[in-house]
Amino acid sequence: MTSHTDSSAKLLNAVTEGAEKGVIPASIFGDPDLYRQELRNVFGRCWVFLAHESEIPAKGDYVLRKIGEDHFIVVRDDEGEINVLFDACRHRGVQVCRSDSGNTSHFRCPYHGWTYNTKGNLVGAPLWRNAFGGMSKEGNGLASAAKVASYQGLVFGTLDESAPPLKEYLGGMAWYLDLVFGLNEHGVEVLGPPQRFVIDANWKSGAENFSGDDYHLGTLHRSVWEIGAFPVPFHENMMGYHIQASPGHSLSFSMAQDADEPGPNYFGFPDELAQSFNTTNISADQLEVARRSRVFVGNVFPNFSMLALPMTEDGSHHPPVGILTLRTWQPHGPGQVEVWNWFAGYKNLTPEQKDRAYRAGLGTFSMGGAFEVDDTEPWITVSRTGSSTAAKLLDFQLNYEMGKPGVGISKPVKEWPGPGRVQWTRYEEGVQRNLYTFYAEMMRSAPGEWPSLAFGEDAADTGEESQA
Amino acid sequence: MDSTLPRITADTALYAEVLDWIHTEAELLDDLREREWLETMVSRDVTYAVPLRQTVERARGRGFSPDTYHLLETYGSLDSRVTRNETPYAWAEDPPSRIRHFVTNVRARRTDAPDVIAVKSNLLLHRTRQDQSVPQLLSAERHDELRREDGRLMLLRRDVLLDLTVIRTHNLAIFF
Repeated sequence: MTSHTDSSAKLLNAVTEGAEKGVIPASIFGDPDLYRQELRNVFGRCWVFLAHESEIPAKGDYVLRKIGEDHFIVVRDDEGEINVLFDACRHRGVQVCRSDSGNTSHFRCPYHGWTYNTKGNLVGAPLWRNAFGGMSKEGNGLASAAKVASYQGLVFGTLDESAPPLKEYLGGMAWYLDLVFGLNEHGVEVLGPPQRFVIDANWKSGAENFSGDDYHLGTLHRSVWEIGAFPVPFHENMMGYHIQASPGHSLSFSMAQDADEPGPNYFGFPDELAQSFNTTNISADQLEVARRSRVFVGNVFPNFSMLALPMTEDGSHHPPVGILTLRTWQPHGPGQVEVWNWFAGYKNLTPEQKDRAYRAGLGTFSMGGAFEVDDTEPWITVSRTGSSTAAKLLDFQLNYEMGKPGVGISKPVKEWPGPGRVQWTRYEEGVQRNLYTFYAEMMRSAPGEWPSLAFGEDAADTGEESQA
Repeated sequence: MDSTLPRITADTALYAEVLDWIHTEAELLDDLREREWLETMVSRDVTYAVPLRQTVERARGRGFSPDTYHLLETYGSLDSRVTRNETPYAWAEDPPSRIRHFVTNVRARRTDAPDVIAVKSNLLLHRTRQDQSVPQLLSAERHDELRREDGRLMLLRRDVLLDLTVIRTHNLAIFF
């Protein structure tokens, strides 16, 4: 009888070999053993997005977030530093933070009253002298994430001491995050707390969709064009770039073929806002890519996605306007994902522009929105297929061939100002093969070891380009 | 709802009219007659909102977050939703869920505006789809304002206060 570990290892080998060929075993979307290994090897090690700095602007502000399935308090302490504290009392492991957000000077365990400050240090406990002989409180604080760091206001944490610095982990993706979040010196803020909803799907479906699944737009989201929610016709919208920014992280741009073609640019953000965009924090190349872009969609491995594009919730009364949404695909079991969805906007938008962007985002990319309501439908059945006995017995492989050499019209692009492997036209699934190749490597890496975070220079290492 | 405003009691013709309005609305929505609901029961000036909710300490109230929503609709955006469902590509509700609105605890009051009635009700929304045998349940308190327009009551405002912070349904492609 094959052991559980053997079965997971076999699946992971099939992912690595398959990604190169353009097939992925369906069982990765539902296998419970693989899922447990994901919690340990992916969510237990990678940099995981937790919050936007604008959610906790003041000292003592906190939000409750998750790494994998585990609860962490993300809190700004008295010195303004952000700490990520494991929400478990050192005495009996009881939850010490019982609100989703707030402002506090301390967290107190409701069981026996151990009390921690916003750095997680134990500062008091009832009858400490009688009960514990006044022993040192040091070493009895809340546990912290191994590392915490921000990039462009995005706060990440990792549980792995051996994780490379955040900037190195983001690799080429940082260049693309800049041109979404750093277009001017004001930067971005979130527009309220996140929506949260749970669906019966695997977290990877969200991650791969936002890595650049544009092919689904014409079928699944056809209604969005029918009601005038999005201004770029489907076939034109398929023109643009798919970019494997670095191992694991992928993204997609919709871009006009002619750089000066009229139509939405800067993701449809208002012209008055676009006038404030400059090269204070980014390069002229980054600014130019943003200018030409109609749509940006991307995923930071493993489960942090973002999307910027022109949308409207009511095409007959309001023209599309640039919206910006951030989301995490929070694992909730092999067949369940909790979606966290934030709307964000540039801080120097006027209140009216913010309201417009918020309403447009809510009416399209939210659980009640014209775009997103349809997305959950296929993902639920992907997970059903992924957990099926049939998929295991039949060794059921899913097709991820699009954009491989000779498959479709997509071609590698050499002239591109940014990092990563670039393909032109969005009829392409290398972005997803990139996700799963890195996923399998991360899953197999021994504690302390990390897969390469940069693509090798030689053609042999790039696989696809060697055949191009 | 301002509790100092005069209560419309169950023994009045107006209360019976409100109750009949609520039952008619539930029937139209349960029967997927969304266009008819929109055109005959919803005011052009409608605000239709499902505010976002967080878990917070008792001292901070009920956790409804200001200016943040699951749904925030105008007549135009409701019309977009109905129009979308009329296309053959609205997969989220095609095949449609089976939806049942159970509306109880109906309380009505007059408001400062002579033609506007405030109505509170409890809603249990029971939803199944495809071969699902375990229902998705959404329970909420509805705060409605009904305005008399050309003789008939029309939905002017609806705030749906959900009893959930994490929504356990695959989408909100439905009407509360």
